[in-house]
Amino acid sequence: MQSYGDETRPLAALSLPSRIVIGVAACAVAVVVAMHLAMMFLHVAPSNTLSKQQGSLISDYVYPEYEQNWKLFAPNPLQQNIAVQARAQLRTEDGTTRTTGWTDVTARDGQDIRHNPMPSHTQQNQLRRGWEFLVNSHNAQNQATGLRGELSERYIKRIMMLRLDGEWTADGGRVERIQVRSMTTPVSPPPWSSEKISVKPVYRVLPWWQVTADDLPKGATNQ
Amino acid sequence: MTSPTPQQPAEASQQTQPSQASSQSPSEAPSSGRPDENRHAPYEETRIERAIGRGFARVTGRAMAPYQTAVIRIGFATTWLLFLVREWPNRHVLYGPDSPWSLDMARQLLDANHAFSVLPWANSSGWFELVYLLAIVSSALLMLGWRTRTMSVLFMIGVLSLQNRSVFIGDGGDNVIHLMALYLVLTRCGQVWSLDARRAKRAASGATDEAPALGRDLVGIVLWSVLGLALAVAQLLGPYGLTWFEHGPFPHIGWSLVFWGLWATHGLWWAVQRYAPGEPRIVLDTLAKLAHNGALLVIMVEVCLIYATAGWYKIQGSRWQDGTAVFYPMHLDYFSPWPALSEALGSNGLMVMLITYGTVIVQVAFPFTLFNRRLKNVLLVVMICEHLSIAFLLGLPFFSLAMIAADAVFLPTNFLTWLSARISGLRKRLVGGAGDPGPAGPPEGGEPEARTQTGGGGHTLVG
Repeated sequence: MQSYGDETRPLAALSLPSRIVIGVAACAVAVVVAMHLAMMFLHVAPSNTLSKQQGSLISDYVYPEYEQNWKLFAPNPLQQNIAVQARAQLRTEDGTTRTTGWTDVTARDGQDIRHNPMPSHTQQNQLRRGWEFLVNSHNAQNQATGLRGELSERYIKRIMMLRLDGEWTADGGRVERIQVRSMTTPVSPPPWSSEKISVKPVYRVLPWWQVTADDLPKGATNQ
Repeated sequence: MTSPTPQQPAEASQQTQPSQASSQSPSEAPSSGRPDENRHAPYEETRIERAIGRGFARVTGRAMAPYQTAVIRIGFATTWLLFLVREWPNRHVLYGPDSPWSLDMARQLLDANHAFSVLPWANSSGWFELVYLLAIVSSALLMLGWRTRTMSVLFMIGVLSLQNRSVFIGDGGDNVIHLMALYLVLTRCGQVWSLDARRAKRAASGATDEAPALGRDLVGIVLWSVLGLALAVAQLLGPYGLTWFEHGPFPHIGWSLVFWGLWATHGLWWAVQRYAPGEPRIVLDTLAKLAHNGALLVIMVEVCLIYATAGWYKIQGSRWQDGTAVFYPMHLDYFSPWPALSEALGSNGLMVMLITYGTVIVQVAFPFTLFNRRLKNVLLVVMICEHLSIAFLLGLPFFSLAMIAADAVFLPTNFLTWLSARISGLRKRLVGGAGDPGPAGPPEGGEPEARTQTGGGGHTLVG
């Protein structure tokens, strides 16, 4: 690298075609960088005149590889603990059905995270973000909206089967249907605050889902 | 626009104007039309033209910030490497065959959003293991700076493939790594602190004539051929994602075009160095510098966007206004690995308020402090400390590491060279006792000298 003595040779010493190539390239880089940065800015900025006008242009450019969300704990940090719980309806060998009690899967994540300096994405993100995905792709009546809604239902179903199938069917039987609900508990205000809020949990209960063989992740059966 | 630079040196000596102030100052801007000025020279540049010329000379002159780009390369590669190693036992559930987000579901989503991933290419666990292993190996080699450019491409493929296959498993840290993996490909991030730099230095000191040394780059030729062959096979099988003119990282540029383009450029660069070391080499080298400087600017602005967005949205939140915001994340089950500690820290209202306000102030202010070196450095220290505490308190080590790596692009060169001297000094002391380092070469091998002028860039075939 040191031997590249010509490294410092001024561009002026180059032939005209070379200078044209470099000049054109410099302009191209400038244009591309400016456009890219403008797109990134409009993507992270609040919805505004320009981004409303050019919405599809911006999203075509940004998605999927440059998607980003930096509203970290903003505008307000999450102030509720959202616990996702599940129960199952089993068909036992003698033909009867049995319904299990609710299992708080989020609480188990919490237990795994406690005193863990390096929580895994499986503990910290899988269920938390999966539930976010489900909530975002369902309407208030708990109906799936579009492909993403259906995918999110399958995803949550499969997460539950991965984690609980072995436990549910430990005494035999087969999971026929599962039901999922979320329990939202507000974080009680800081001790010095005079704020009064109800810390009573609020439930969102989803309808029973039929479980098919397709919903069994490979790992679920041998747990 | 081709080059206003030619006149530069002569111009500078002629002009004795001491005021180097703002180029926009309209009262002083000389217009080339004035007769009295035409007497001096046949053509006199305006200030704006000269400013453009200076800027042009700078962005084509060298690949800027060699130490900063090296440190972010090492930072992101290390973060991703540690993450992959940490998740090794869970890899099948996160990205592999046991994932509740099955490959089938991933394909449905990818067919709709066209994100790039090589994992849908085959539904076998063997393929998955291979990709995961390659992601680990390419991260490690990018960290070390071995064939940096090639590894940066493989690193990007690894990051995109794993993350896009399971999009609902990541967090902010993954998001930063995703973006930076794309940008790093266009930078010369191996100019210093890399095995490439060490090899180039040895080649330069060993051989007075560089050409034979370059020609013997067997490893590079083999690597280039193997990767070209792999790409050709993939292209022939026509799997998901390899299209020419659509669904790529840039409008009308598909991933096939990107990969073949990068591959062909490496080949061209090698051929030009070997057979046409004169002007063609300078032109290619200048184009690479331009790309590097453009990508560097994008990286720096991206970091500013992250902080600006995080800060400005916080200002609008009532909890950030009333000074209690920091209290809440510490009491969320998913982010409180040390409940007793969170409890103790959260019990002091004044402290919580100071941290809450401090966070917002630092985040909003950061982009503006770039105009003041000293203030910027103070804020950098504050932000790095805050991320270190987030890593521990909220149980987000990889997110925090990624953010610290992003911050590092703004670290001052003085500090980085000082750090490098300290580290190599330490290494010398440790290795020195063991006698001659032998085949490992001089202990200060990968150590940089102040190569700010030349800018390095001695990439071998695929380096």
